[in-house]
Amino acid sequence: MQHIKTGVIFGVLAGLFTFLFGGWSVTMLGIFAGAGLGLALENKLERGTQLAKAKEALPVALVAGGLMVALSLFGNFVVQPATGKFTALNTIVVAANILGFIAMVGLAMLTASFRGLDEKKEKTAKTILLAAIVIAFPFIDVFMNLRWTSNIIFALIFVILGLGLNIVVGYAGLLNLGYAAFFAIGAYTTGILSSPQHDIFLNFWLVIWLAAGMAALWGFLLGAPTLPVRGDYLGIVTLGFGEIIPVIFKNLIDVTINEPLTCWIIPGIQRLFGATSTVACINLVSHMDLTAGEKGINPIGRPILFGYEFQSNNTTPWYFLIILIIMLTVFLIQRMYKSRLGRSWMAIREDELASAQMGIDPVKTKLAAFAIGAVFAGFAGAFYAAYIRAIFPSVFDFSASIIILCVVILGGIGNINGVIVGGLVIMTADRLFLPALKDFLKGLLDFTILPALSSNPGLQAAVSQNANPILYRFLLFGLTLVIMMRVRPEGLIPSAQMRAVLHADEEIEAVQNDESKKAKKG
Amino acid sequence: MKSTLQKFARPIIAIITIYLVLLLGPIAALDIPVIAASIAKNPSQLLQFLIIGLANGAIIAIIALGYTMVYGIIELINFAHGDVYMIGVFTALTTLSLTGTLKSQDPVRIGIGIVIALVVAVVVGATLNATIERLAYRPLRNAPRLAPLISAIGMSFIVENIGLIWAGQSWLVPSFGTTGGGAQKEFPDLLSRMFVNMNMNPDLLASSGLGLRFTIKDLLVIVLAGVLMIGLRQFVQHTKLGKAMRATAQNRDAAKMLGIDIDWVITATFLIGGGLAGAAGLMAGLYNNNAWWFMGFRAGLQSFTAAVLGGIGNITGAMLGGFLIGLLAAFSDGYLNARWTNAWVFATLVLILLFRPNGLLGEQTGQKA
Repeated sequence: MQHIKTGVIFGVLAGLFTFLFGGWSVTMLGIFAGAGLGLALENKLERGTQLAKAKEALPVALVAGGLMVALSLFGNFVVQPATGKFTALNTIVVAANILGFIAMVGLAMLTASFRGLDEKKEKTAKTILLAAIVIAFPFIDVFMNLRWTSNIIFALIFVILGLGLNIVVGYAGLLNLGYAAFFAIGAYTTGILSSPQHDIFLNFWLVIWLAAGMAALWGFLLGAPTLPVRGDYLGIVTLGFGEIIPVIFKNLIDVTINEPLTCWIIPGIQRLFGATSTVACINLVSHMDLTAGEKGINPIGRPILFGYEFQSNNTTPWYFLIILIIMLTVFLIQRMYKSRLGRSWMAIREDELASAQMGIDPVKTKLAAFAIGAVFAGFAGAFYAAYIRAIFPSVFDFSASIIILCVVILGGIGNINGVIVGGLVIMTADRLFLPALKDFLKGLLDFTILPALSSNPGLQAAVSQNANPILYRFLLFGLTLVIMMRVRPEGLIPSAQMRAVLHADEEIEAVQNDESKKAKKG
Repeated sequence: MKSTLQKFARPIIAIITIYLVLLLGPIAALDIPVIAASIAKNPSQLLQFLIIGLANGAIIAIIALGYTMVYGIIELINFAHGDVYMIGVFTALTTLSLTGTLKSQDPVRIGIGIVIALVVAVVVGATLNATIERLAYRPLRNAPRLAPLISAIGMSFIVENIGLIWAGQSWLVPSFGTTGGGAQKEFPDLLSRMFVNMNMNPDLLASSGLGLRFTIKDLLVIVLAGVLMIGLRQFVQHTKLGKAMRATAQNRDAAKMLGIDIDWVITATFLIGGGLAGAAGLMAGLYNNNAWWFMGFRAGLQSFTAAVLGGIGNITGAMLGGFLIGLLAAFSDGYLNARWTNAWVFATLVLILLFRPNGLLGEQTGQKA
């Protein structure tokens, strides 16, 4: 019975989304919410037989599915007409809702039943289920004509960035407020090496490694001077680097390099003695437009695989490419986490002085964190540049760094699963939910609210001007950060260590309470 | 052999550094021969940039005071402070607009309007800053240090967006041709208008024949900044609350044991810092004649750099740092290229933190940072 609340949360969230998207979205949300609900339940249930677990999940799944379908139908026939979209009870609505309900209940029960398997099989089963959803997603998306894949690709780019930043902030405990600089370096390396800007067209499969290498090099170079600085000051220094790098990319539009010896020093000395210089000035580079400034580099070459060039209008190959990069990223990070290097990161995070005494070289460890963290930003940057085909310096400013930090903090510092969930939640909210909310509100305003306010034109203008949620996206990011810090500073899916650190007081209190209870009983 | 190497190592490194600066500097507009020629050709320009730098530095210094006081007491970078300053600009603009001062030609009325705007901006800035502390920092006072910092960044985003929404309300912020909240708004040049209407030339050096421009605005900004800074210094040194602030900054627990109300002291610090930011907002609006929702970010980073440059926690240091950063920005705008100014300011910040983390006037504090 205590799990019904989880079911209500999932059902209501999924149901509310259907207001915004309508159509086939019920089925898609049923799939996601069903799997999510199953996983959430699965963690809470006691072990038992598969059938018993599925039975246990049934009422919860029915509540969730029922709520979702009820809200979806309510949206279709009560809310949508208020925005000017009348939907008749046609076959699509019926099919979408029935399929959504079945997907929700079935997947929730299936996933919950995994609890009946032994531990190894349970893990395999979960992996297979998630893999099936991940692989099937773009095809279902194309079939249902929802066009969510391009937004999900964005979310996945930020997942990679979050995973990279997680190494620096989560594992090594080095606050980095300028991580977008490495994203920019990866993207600009790709842009410069595969665009008509300099008539260099390198293969994407080569460029992505060059971009990662370049980002790692700069991670090392920018990390080295920050070694003596700690805590808040480290955040500020990295913020400084994060601001300088986009400024540099913005301003490298007229690069001229004169060899100083022949151009200034020798002529200057000769002029001192009253002679006109006869030395020929060596001009190493003259008036080169390296980065095209605010115009941006455009168009950037696309990956070609077995003679097939990736196209902008077909997002499926891009989706699988980024999934591949994420799998590589997760694999590498998991291996590193368990390695000697990963353990030394965590040691210097907990106590730098003590770990140095134990024989860990803090300089090497920190530089490795900066450089390896930057590698993944390089991957993400290369993919981003090739996917968007045009890059501008303004994309990589402070707010980008903060969004990446938001991903790590909301998801759970130091936890790979948490960061993946954080990236998906934040970026789908930003790129999918807010624009849909904007359209929804616009419909609602134009059709229902504004006519009702026609007696007061001033208020009407003020309402229509301000009812644009896209305007408030950074307000929402800010609110997320502040509220998370107060309510759940360890993130949605925290790592065990972070939870322990952040809730040490409560745990001590709980232990004391237990002891005092025992003492009373005794 | 080794000693010979050591003997020559430093000069060789110096020569290589100079060579690299000459080689790569021009990319970032640091073209030393060109700059030297420009200074030699027109030396009075140097003085002009000095004046501009001092006036802008005065504003930066006042904002920096807020950073330095807060950091001194609770060791937190109040990221939202620059945005409180931005709110100060918009508060002043809205007050001037609502009191009808913006369209007035009567010098007395303009003067009264500016004084009212100053009071309102100070009150709003102080209240906002104290509210931010109450909502975002106080609940996290005993949390790990990352938590309040993240909360501060979040608060900064929230306040910036309040500014963006505010700037978009045409009945609050007169648009002067630019529409939308994202656009830079014009802040009318009221001081010059006031003096022109009093039949005085706003340019104080107009009759001197030096070819310099030193307006009444420059003078007023520098004088007002000086008064505020000296007042704050006296307050912190000689009043009971100031003494409590210094005690809290030194050792919070000991101060608490001696009966000092820590919460009130911290609130008072935020009130004073916010009030100063509000005053700086009015001054910046009148001096630079623009208002923009994002102006707090750049101003905040410049002021934070100033606070660090002077030695964080040190009031005199913040003033010194403010003037130095103002001069750096003015010279960079004038002789290098305005495009690169931000990069130079940040580069300064990074260099100070790396080579002299305690700033110019800061004391050695062990491994605090």
